[in-house]
Amino acid sequence: MTITNEPDMSIQNHNGQANNLGVGMAMGAKQEVNPRDAYSVPGILHFIQHEWAKFELERSKWDVERAELEAKIAFLQGERKGQENLKNDLVRRIKMLEHALKQERARFHKLKYGTDLSQGDLKDAELDEAQEDAGEADQLIIASSDISWRQGRQLLRQYLHEIGYTDTVIDVRSNRVRSLLGLKENKDGVPAQSIDPVASKSDVQAKSASQNQAGLLAEDMLREAEQAVLANCHFLNPDGGVPVDDGDEDEEDWKSEEINTGKQGKSLGDDERDSSNMAMALKSLDFNFGNMSMVNPWDENSAMRLAASKDPSLQKPGMRMNSAHYGMEVNDESLEEMGLGELAQLTVTNEAEGMYESGTSKEAYSKMWNAKYTLRSHFDGVRALAFHPIEPALITASEDHTLKLWNLMRTIAGKKSAFLDVEPVYTFRGHQGAVLATCMNPTGEQCYSGGVDGTVRVWNVPNSNIDPYDAYDPDVLSLTLSGHTDAVWGLAFHTQKPQLLSCSADGTVKLWSPGSKAPLLQSYAAEPAMGVPSSVDFVHEDCSHMVAAYTSGRCAVYDLETSKVVMQLESNQNVEGGAPRDQVNCVVSHPTMPVTVAAHEDRHIRFYDNVTGKVVQAMVAHQDAVTSLAVDPHGLYLLSGSHDCSVRLWNLETKQCVQEITAHRKKSDESIHCVGFHPTKPYIASGGADALAKVFV
Amino acid sequence: MTEAPIIRRNRPGTKQADFYGWPDELFEEMDSTLAVQQFIQQMVRRNPAAVDAILTAPEQQDEGVWKYEHLRQFCMELNGLAVKLQLGCQPDTCTQMTATEQWIFLCAAHKTPKECSAIDYTRHTLDGAACLLNSNKYFPSRVSIRESSVSKLGSVCRRVYRIFAHAYFHHRQLFDEFESETHLCRRFTTFVTKYGLMTKENLNVPILEDQAPAEESEA
Repeated sequence: MTITNEPDMSIQNHNGQANNLGVGMAMGAKQEVNPRDAYSVPGILHFIQHEWAKFELERSKWDVERAELEAKIAFLQGERKGQENLKNDLVRRIKMLEHALKQERARFHKLKYGTDLSQGDLKDAELDEAQEDAGEADQLIIASSDISWRQGRQLLRQYLHEIGYTDTVIDVRSNRVRSLLGLKENKDGVPAQSIDPVASKSDVQAKSASQNQAGLLAEDMLREAEQAVLANCHFLNPDGGVPVDDGDEDEEDWKSEEINTGKQGKSLGDDERDSSNMAMALKSLDFNFGNMSMVNPWDENSAMRLAASKDPSLQKPGMRMNSAHYGMEVNDESLEEMGLGELAQLTVTNEAEGMYESGTSKEAYSKMWNAKYTLRSHFDGVRALAFHPIEPALITASEDHTLKLWNLMRTIAGKKSAFLDVEPVYTFRGHQGAVLATCMNPTGEQCYSGGVDGTVRVWNVPNSNIDPYDAYDPDVLSLTLSGHTDAVWGLAFHTQKPQLLSCSADGTVKLWSPGSKAPLLQSYAAEPAMGVPSSVDFVHEDCSHMVAAYTSGRCAVYDLETSKVVMQLESNQNVEGGAPRDQVNCVVSHPTMPVTVAAHEDRHIRFYDNVTGKVVQAMVAHQDAVTSLAVDPHGLYLLSGSHDCSVRLWNLETKQCVQEITAHRKKSDESIHCVGFHPTKPYIASGGADALAKVFV
Repeated sequence: MTEAPIIRRNRPGTKQADFYGWPDELFEEMDSTLAVQQFIQQMVRRNPAAVDAILTAPEQQDEGVWKYEHLRQFCMELNGLAVKLQLGCQPDTCTQMTATEQWIFLCAAHKTPKECSAIDYTRHTLDGAACLLNSNKYFPSRVSIRESSVSKLGSVCRRVYRIFAHAYFHHRQLFDEFESETHLCRRFTTFVTKYGLMTKENLNVPILEDQAPAEESEA
């Protein structure tokens, strides 16, 4: 009963005639139990129908399964084919590399004992040949290979030409591939014998597998070379053995390959012409694998085998090896040249910016800055600059009494494409004297300026995309804060609160809240001995403090609320100070650490610890007074500008100068007045006495 | 000059009165590429009223560069007048740029000359002059001026003069204030006359005493 129940269930699921069949089944069951009772025609019919349906169902199931399995088989077969091809390729490469290595060994060995004459004679020839382009080596291989290969290769070249790859590009790419392969082997080979050659080979194979996409030609060349090499393998490995230093799983495969290539070799090898062609092919191979000689483990084996071999055609390989050895030496150089060639290419593109740069140190740094934008429009020195916090825009303040807003995206197409000229988007007119300081608020909607006329002005920054020749909008000047009685030299805006600090030649530092009814919040005056404040900054690490720098060369950290001096930052200078020689020109607070950086007129940059007040480090940074500083938003680099016409980039960790940029010409004795980093984008800028501002990327 | 004891810098912290408070330098001793600008500024600072002295070029000074640097200085100093005009010249009162009744000046800073209000004309002209005088295309160098670019100086002078003219005829008080401080219009008029950068008919501000009656009637 149970047996019949299962099909019963399935049939009921699949067919609509459940009832009939059920009856039929029941009848069938009854028939089984009582064979004599139910041999009636309808019963038999029902039973047969049921059975047929069952069979049909199963057949369809089998069909489906079969189709699935067939698909699976096809897929697996395809995969297997692919794997086999891959394996074959890799094995071929192994053999080729092995062979070349053995050759090197042999050559090396030959050199030790070998004839001087042949070396001398062939040296020149080899130097000449090795110095030829890889392109010619290509052609040599073409000559040695089948006609079909040659045609195919030429066709490929033609296609590449059509794409736009010139011969030189093709050559360079193939050289690059080879050099990468060569270099990789070099790296693997250098740390002595314990290297697993299989590992190195597989690395090379993996590399070479990945290089397949690098150049069609490279692959073709290699393939042809492989064939030629395999043909030669026969000569150099008469015992057909594989030089094994470790147990190789692939040994059997290699042996089978050897046998195959042995057959190939015999078909090709006896011909004199072919061997000479293969010689040339080998030379090209040497070009590839010249560095293989550095790998030690193969030394004895290959040398011994070569010595033991009595094949007369070894004479040729011998000579070839000698010559190729020299070829190898030259190839090393040419490989280096290739490497340099790539670098040379790189420097060519940078040449246009070369005159603005002189990298003085070559350690690894995150980037080198190149001059890109020149902002020309001011009539007199640019005294201060401030980047927009978000957009690629900045504001410059100049001794020509104006500030200008620049949008770096609006450049003028000029003759020199490397440097872009930018025209200002807006000119802020209002000051009646040189504008000495500027800063922006964190949203970029307002900017602040301070000038010789003693006023601090608050401006609403227009959109960077407006027409520069729009109608005059008097509301751009939002507010004029008068309070100072003398030139305002420094401005700083708080990162979190809407507060503005200004320092002036009248001896005071004032704290403003520009939006409120009574803008002047506080005024901080220092002892007269300190001198006049020349620069201020909020302490980023502690938002209730600010640091002010004085013409006496000293700095002080103030508490904003109590207006008391929290810490005096002393340096080891002349304490009587006050001589203009020692004054601090600019002070910046580190964004994350309790460090204050001060730029001094005596060419030093001094780092002070806010907590102890002591100098952490002092360094001679420039050849003339250091005028301005900027710290990058991450606190890793420091920019300094000086009257010696150079802008220097310092790594804050190592305090090393990582880049020096020469920019701006001197007017009187002034050169660079200000430098700055963009808060969010990779731009740095400098402003100078020659009325230019430059932006570097 | 940095080795010499005199260092000509306005360091941060310098008081307004002490600005440029260094001894004058002889032109021959100036060794920077911006020597001409330095020299002119020095002469102006010494005595803004000594127009002829300011305009006297040193010996063997290239005339093109001399004219160019003076024009830069004029445009820079005109900013002061522009600031005054920003306060006094309203777009609704001076809807057009005029000097006398005869001419309406169109602003050339736009793609097609536009009838800007006076304050717009003033600002656009000064901005346009800044762009032109600083442009790499026409004036790539500050130590040698191309012959082809010298004609640009004339057109800049013409436009800039109209600012003086408008201020004189429509905002007399502002003009007088400014002129008494800087003597700029007189210097400018002398400058363009000396170097022939503008025709006499265009010089309608009676700034030079001898021209007073004649110019008015012509205009």
